[in-house]
Amino acid sequence: MKRSLIIIAVLVLIVSFTFDTGDQEKKTVRRVITLDNTQVKRPYSPAIEVNNTLYVSGQIAVDLATGKLVEGKIEEQTRQALKNLRNVIEKAGYSMENVAKCTVLLSDIANYSTVNQIYMEFFPKDPPARMAFAVKDLPMGALIEIDATAVK
Amino acid sequence: MKKIISTLKAPAAIGPYSQAVEANGILYISGQIPLIPETGKLADGGITEQTNQIFKNIEAILNEAGYSFGDIIKSTCLLSDMTNFKAMNEVYSLYFPENKPARAAFAVKELPMGALIEIETIAIK
Repeated sequence: MKRSLIIIAVLVLIVSFTFDTGDQEKKTVRRVITLDNTQVKRPYSPAIEVNNTLYVSGQIAVDLATGKLVEGKIEEQTRQALKNLRNVIEKAGYSMENVAKCTVLLSDIANYSTVNQIYMEFFPKDPPARMAFAVKDLPMGALIEIDATAVK
Repeated sequence: MKKIISTLKAPAAIGPYSQAVEANGILYISGQIPLIPETGKLADGGITEQTNQIFKNIEAILNEAGYSFGDIIKSTCLLSDMTNFKAMNEVYSLYFPENKPARAAFAVKELPMGALIEIETIAIK
């Protein structure tokens, strides 16, 4: 009698332990955002969504159809990089208003105020938190790269 | 609630930071440079060896925290020279065959200890 009680107690413990572990190992749903209609092949995803947060890769002024940088200077590149950013964000079902944080990487800090003018067109109201600085060099010789984190 | 992650299998911090901090199911791993944990020195070789060493260090930290490469959702790759971009990508892609994390990559003016590369990552379980 005593032994069977102990066995039952042990079984109950095992069962509850199994259930607990099951809960802890429940994987967070992760969504990889991909783009069709692009020649650009890279070892990263355009964006990853997890827990209602969208992590968007750094965007440069690539024309997605050709895989090459757009013609022009900082104005054109900033506009294209931000369009690419918006494209990924909207593809994921988010909007620019959902962006909480951006990182702006410049090849030259002299472009800072020009970038800000164009940047404000894309974030006209309540702009995201931001970090901006000049780096040594950007992929493909780009003048600007912008990444973002958006939260719904 | 934040939890400090610390392991001898990854290089000790070379400044006032933790190897990683976990908070609310998110693991923030400090930027890793290619230090060998046992010696605290940079791995010998070029960008390929240095990138590999960084991923060994990241793996040790992920393991200690109970995460894996598949949990990484965002990385930032800082290079000392953009000419190493392609060679870095070749090593990088081996560690992320699918569900590749979002990423930002760029060259900076200089990295700690003269490293060729530093990689910062965020993982979510």
